[in-house]
Amino acid sequence: MAPEESRASLRASDADREQAIDVLKTAFARDRLARAEFGARVGQALVARTYADLAAATGSIPGPLIAGQPPGMSARVRQQRTRREMSHGELAQALGVSRQTVILIESGRYLPSLSLAFTIARFFGLTVDKMFGPDEEKTSPR
Amino acid sequence: MMRFIPPRLRKPAAIALAGVLFAAAWLVRGGPLWWISILAVIMAAARAVYLYRMGGQDTDEGALAGSRADERQKLLSLRSRALACNLAVIAAFIGLTAAIAVKGAWWWPFLVILGVAGFGYLLGLSNYGVAEEGTPDEVDAGHQARSPVSS
Repeated sequence: MAPEESRASLRASDADREQAIDVLKTAFARDRLARAEFGARVGQALVARTYADLAAATGSIPGPLIAGQPPGMSARVRQQRTRREMSHGELAQALGVSRQTVILIESGRYLPSLSLAFTIARFFGLTVDKMFGPDEEKTSPR
Repeated sequence: MMRFIPPRLRKPAAIALAGVLFAAAWLVRGGPLWWISILAVIMAAARAVYLYRMGGQDTDEGALAGSRADERQKLLSLRSRALACNLAVIAAFIGLTAAIAVKGAWWWPFLVILGVAGFGYLLGLSNYGVAEEGTPDEVDAGHQARSPVSS
C-alpha cells in the first residue's frame, strides 16, 4: 500500500475536521465556494471519519489556500464583509463611503486613506495593521 | 451659504445661477442678440435638471453631481479639474503665441488666463501647505530624540 493510501485510511481527529472547515471558510470568504456548496461541504467535513473523507470535502480547492493564511489586504475587507453577511451597499453605508469605493477597495484598485483605513479596521474590530498590513508569511524572514 | 442648500441641489443651483448671470449680461448688453439670454436660461435650466437627476444615481458621476462624494470620488474630481486646468493653460499659451505671431489685438485675454492660473497655483501652494519652516526638532538642536512610548 502506498503511503498516501495508508494515510487516507487513517481516522481523522476533531482538530483535522476543524482545520478542513477553516479551509472551507477561507475558500468561501474568497468566493471560491457558493453558500450552498459551502454548507454541504462543511456538513461533509463534520461527519468525515478518515483523511480520505476530509480530502473529499476539501477537494478542488487550491492547495495554497491553507487555513489561517491571511489573504491580501484587499481580500481581507471582502472576507470580513462576507463573514458578517453584509452587502457592498450596507458596508458602504456603515463606513460613510460609496458602494463603488468599497468594491474598488475589495478588488485592490483603490487604497483607502489612513483615515478611512482606521474607520474600516475599527468597524471590523481589528487593528489597521491586521486589516491592511502585508501578509505575514511574505514579510517574515525565512 | 451652501450649507443651507441640500447637497443634491447645490450643483444644479450653481448652474442655474450662472445661467441667470449670463442671461442678464446679454440683456444688459441689449441689441438684436438679446434673445440669447432666453437661450442661456433654457440651457442652464436643462443642465440643472440633468444634474439634479444625475445626482440621484448610484454612480461616481451621481455622487459628484449630488455633492455627496467620498474621499475617492473627491480625488477623482480633483484630478479631473487639475487636468482641465492644465489643458486650459496650454490652450491659453497657444492662443497667446498665435495672437503675438499674427499681431492680433486679442492677445491680452490669454495673458489674463495664464496670469490667473499662475496666481491660483501659487495661492494653492500657499494655502495647502508647502513645507513650512518650523523650529528645528530636538535632534537638529543637538538633543537626543525620545520616543513618546519610551520611559
